[in-house]
Formats: sequence, structure tokens, C-alpha cells
Amino acid sequence: MNPLRRFAMLYAEALWLPVNALRGHSALLRMLVQREIVNRTSGTLLGRLWPLLQPALQVLGFWFLFAVVYDMQNVRGPGYAQYLLLGILPWLCFSELLARATGLFREFGALYARSPFPLHILPVVILVLPTVVYTLVLALTAAWLLGAVAALKTLLLVPALVLWTLPLVLLCAVVGLFVRDFGQALPFLLTLLLYLTPILYFPDMLPAGGRALLWLNPMADWMALVHAFLGGNPVVLAGVARLAGLWLLLLGPCWLLYRRTTLHAREIL
Amino acid sequence: MRELAIRLQGVGKCYRSYARDLDRVLEVLSGKPRHHAFHALQPLDLEVARGEVIGVIGKNGAGKSTLLKLLAGTLQASSGSVDIKGRVSAILELGANFHPEMTGHDNVFLSCAIQGLSRGEAEAAYEAITGFAGIGDFIHQPVKTYSSGMVMRLAFAIATHVNPDILIIDEALSVGDGVFARRSFERIMEFRQAGKTIFFCSHSLYQVEALCDRVLWLDAGRLRQEGSPASVITAYGEFVQSESGVEELHHPPGLAAEAAPTLPGAVAPRMLAVEVRVDGHLARAHRVLSNRSTLEITLRFQASPAMPVPTLGLVWIGGDGRLVTSAGSRHDGIVITLDERQQGVATLVVPNVPLLKGYYCLDVYLLCEQGLMVYERVQQAAEFNVEQEGLELGVFSLPHRWRLP
Repeated sequence: MNPLRRFAMLYAEALWLPVNALRGHSALLRMLVQREIVNRTSGTLLGRLWPLLQPALQVLGFWFLFAVVYDMQNVRGPGYAQYLLLGILPWLCFSELLARATGLFREFGALYARSPFPLHILPVVILVLPTVVYTLVLALTAAWLLGAVAALKTLLLVPALVLWTLPLVLLCAVVGLFVRDFGQALPFLLTLLLYLTPILYFPDMLPAGGRALLWLNPMADWMALVHAFLGGNPVVLAGVARLAGLWLLLLGPCWLLYRRTTLHAREIL
Repeated sequence: MRELAIRLQGVGKCYRSYARDLDRVLEVLSGKPRHHAFHALQPLDLEVARGEVIGVIGKNGAGKSTLLKLLAGTLQASSGSVDIKGRVSAILELGANFHPEMTGHDNVFLSCAIQGLSRGEAEAAYEAITGFAGIGDFIHQPVKTYSSGMVMRLAFAIATHVNPDILIIDEALSVGDGVFARRSFERIMEFRQAGKTIFFCSHSLYQVEALCDRVLWLDAGRLRQEGSPASVITAYGEFVQSESGVEELHHPPGLAAEAAPTLPGAVAPRMLAVEVRVDGHLARAHRVLSNRSTLEITLRFQASPAMPVPTLGLVWIGGDGRLVTSAGSRHDGIVITLDERQQGVATLVVPNVPLLKGYYCLDVYLLCEQGLMVYERVQQAAEFNVEQEGLELGVFSLPHRWRLP
């Protein structure tokens, strides 16, 4: 097979990955999501409320710190709370996906090491619950802050962000399997990225040099897109193009790495 | 020619080892091999027809488990193609994919989904699975609250109720203990009678010969011989004896010693007494005169009214661990009758014991009516120090006569 055709097939495979997983393994996906909920909520008093409460409480924490303690509303006006809440939820979704992906192969090792488990659906498994939870939480937040139309828009926004994160999920799963230190370092890297991304502050609060470098940070483009889509800011087309380009650049190679890694995963564990 | 259930073409498995962890990463990144290969299974061609029962034998490390895992789909072949028609279910590591925090009910559906069953198919199988497992209301409790026996029963029930076309069994023909062991054995026999394809790997050559249509002998990852059970097992037995004595010939008839289930409870068949007399003297250790003494072994057992009448098996083992000879009530066509207490008794009489000088011990087995499943095994039930007057050599004195011209 010629390299161009192989390349095209690789991308097609990666693009259809979520669809194929949902179509061909719907019963298994459902049970694995249920397994994940049980994992997270077993033995707790509030049970299945926790997946929703966790992001809500984190948002509350950030709001308290920045809006109350640092009194950012007085500094930047009443729009700050809206800016913070609309930005932090997509970020939490993104960071949760990467953190889960890092331990993906080890988390599901007991299942695939001893049964004919379809390893290719694992990345999709960890996308499902955050997509549902953050869509719901962001929709409620948007409805409260901006009204029903903005709430409806989140039905597109969160799935789009999750789909965009897929190549990074694949990459983190691969790196997390081979380099265990990565899992330890990731929380620090994510915190660093959070501070480098205009989520807790407005982009214009950065010094000129810092603003000029924002184009290097795809999450800054995502934040611009979120506020444009939900908050009515102007859409920065260059940012959207950068996001699309980066996604296309990463998707095929990351899927190839993941596919190669599945051959090693059973042996390593 | 019957329809094929399995076709392997050049299927091999090599495990990779790396001098440094980094080499594995570089191999994934570049796609170029940087590993040392250990060939657990050399490229193998194999065709199995639907309904065939295939036995797999070989020493430890021969590649038996690797082959079964490739067929079960828990390992991916390094080379060649595995073409399997139908659903495969494996009795390999029962309960390994259960989630301890989830209920038995949810684990049934999770396991069914992993096996490729749709929700509807799983729902259709659910009643049969829970009925067979017989764990009652525990099915709605988290699996972490189960005993290991309950986990095994539920896992076995799932493995055998997902309507597999191909069943893979590693070592044990029955799982659990007591009545469930019997039921699990019957369940596997039902598959055989229903014309399902079965792959059976065991160290028990007796069981392999009794059950299988064809036997594969693997040695150091290669297919050494393939053919009728009698021919392959004979060749393998000679190989094992020439290699290292007798280590793998200790277990006939029935399961390997470590796999033999124990049978608590009043309803399961169990051995009540083994009495060994030599020339009328009852003891466990005996002095026996070759070709003179008379040996009488009386076996008493408790049967279960819910099960067919058990059979008895006796195996004599020499001082070097080699199996010397055996006797079985089923093989000899003996039907044991039970008394009103559901107890049976039978005495094996060996006049003029033909063993030659040396040390021997006796293992006794209480078996199912087919002589395949072990209810109970009594190891070293008796010991014999055989003495002889003449200078004959070997283990046995053959009945013989001389004819002169």
C-alpha cells in the first residue's frame, strides 16, 4: 500500500474511532461508564451526585478565590464572574481528560490482560463521562448567566473540545504507559498551563510580551473561542485555524502511536 | 469436509524484551524493532473443524497457554493470521475481569459485553447464568463480598452461558467444589455432546486421551506432533520418560492433584474408607511377597442420590514415581450397587501379586460415572515393600510358561 493511502486510512480510522466505538461496542461502553461511576462514587453518601458536584465545587472554589478574596469584580467589573465561570469549566474538562488518559492502560489493565477486550475503545471510554458531566454543568451555568440560547450552544462546545482533545488523550495514554514519571509531573504541567492561559484573568491583563506569545498556547485559542461562542466576543479566525491545524497534525500520528502501543500494553502489564 | 471453526496460518507469538526501557519507547516511535525476541510459539498452521475436541499437551513452557490465549483473544499474535468463526469463551482465569465494587448483576452484564454480547443477548442469558451460579440474592451485592467459590461459580456460569461456539479449557474440567464441581463438569460435557469445538489443555494425559478427537503436542514453542490421541500421547509419554523421568505422568486418572476438588457437604460423593489387606492383615504399610501374597483393597464411599453412581480407580506408583499400573471399576465393567444409606462398597482382589521387588504406593480415586471427573483422591492410601525369592528383574512378573521341543 502506498504511503499516501496508508496515511489517509490512518486518519480515517482515527476520525471514526468514537463513532465505531459507539456503534460496535455500545453495550460495553455503557457498562464501562457505569464501572467508572461506581469507581468514583462507591461508599460515598452522595453517590452519583459526585461527578456533577466535583466540577461545581471546583468552580465555586475558583470563584471564591478570585471574585471574593482578590475582589476581581471590582477590578474588572461584574463581567469577571461570567468570564471565569465560562472559561474554567472547559479547562477542568480538558485537564480531567488528560489526567485520566495518563493512567489509561494501567487503569484498565485488569480487564484487557485477561479477556478479549477491544483496546482501541479505551480512549473513547474515558471521554464519555466528562463529556456528559461538563456539557450539563456548563449548560446550567450558561443558562443561569446568559440564557437558554447559550445553554444550547454548550451542547456543541463541550463535545467539540473533547473531540479536539482526543489526539492529546491518545498521546498521554502512550507516554503515561512508558514513562511513569509523566503521571507525576502532569498535575504541575497542567497547573502551569492554567496560569499561562487567560482563564483566571483577562488576556489584556498580561504584559504586551506575554500577549504576543499567546498564539503559542492552543488553550488560549480555546478560551477565545469559548468566550466568542458563548459570550458574544468576536471570533478570532486565526485561532480557530490554529486549533484545527494542530488537531489535524496530531490526530494521525497519535493514533498510530496508540495503535502500536496496544501491542505492548498487554506484555508490559 | 466439515466446516472449519479455526484456521491458524503461520501464527506465532514472540515476547519482546528490551535492554533499556527507552528502547521500547524508541521502537514505538520509530516502528523499527529494538527488542530481543523470545519465541513462545513458533509459526503454527492449524485447521480445526467445527465440533472437534482438540487436546493440547506439552511440558511447562511448551507454549500451550500462549496458544490458548491467542485463540481466546487475550494475546495478539506476533505473526500470521488467526481466523476464528464464532464466539469464543475461555475457562482460563475465572473472575479476573470482575470489578469488586460492582454487583454480581452488573458484572454479569460487563462480562457479557466484553464477550461481545449485546444488551439484549445479555438480558436473555442472565436468568440462565444466575440460575446456574446459584448464588441467590448475593447477585445484587458487590462482588467484593463474595467468597472465592462464589466468584468462580459466577464466572464459570458466564463463560459457559454466553453461547460460545468454541470453548477453551485450561487444565480443569470442573471448577468449584462439591455439587457445583459436578455441575460444571456436566456443563462442559454438554458442550461436547452439542458438537461445539473444544480446546482442552491439560497435564492429565488420561483425560486428554479420553476426551479428545485429536491431540497437539507442543514442545519449546513448536508443534512437535499432531494426530490421534493414542499415538501422540504414547510418543509424548516416551519423550517425558526419556527426558526427565516421570514428573508429568503422576496424575492419571483424572485431574492433576492440585486441581482435584475437595468435597465438603453431605450431598457430594465422598470416600468413607480405604482398607488394604495383604494375606488377611489390615494395615497401611505392608510387606508383600512377590507372586505369593494376596492383596485385597476394599473401598467404601458415600454416593449422592442426585448423581449417578460413582466409579473407582486405583493407581500403583513405583518408588521412582513412575506409574506402574492401574485398575478401574468402569473399565472393568463393574456396576456398584448402593445400599439404603446411598453407600457403595467394592473390593479389588489381586491374587499372587505379580509386582517384583521394590517399593510401591497406591493412590485411590472416587470418580464420576464416566471415570473422568475426580470427586476425591486419596494419595498414598497404602505402601508396599515387595520382596521376592528369585532374581527376576523389572517391575512385573509376566504370566508365562516355557515350551520345550
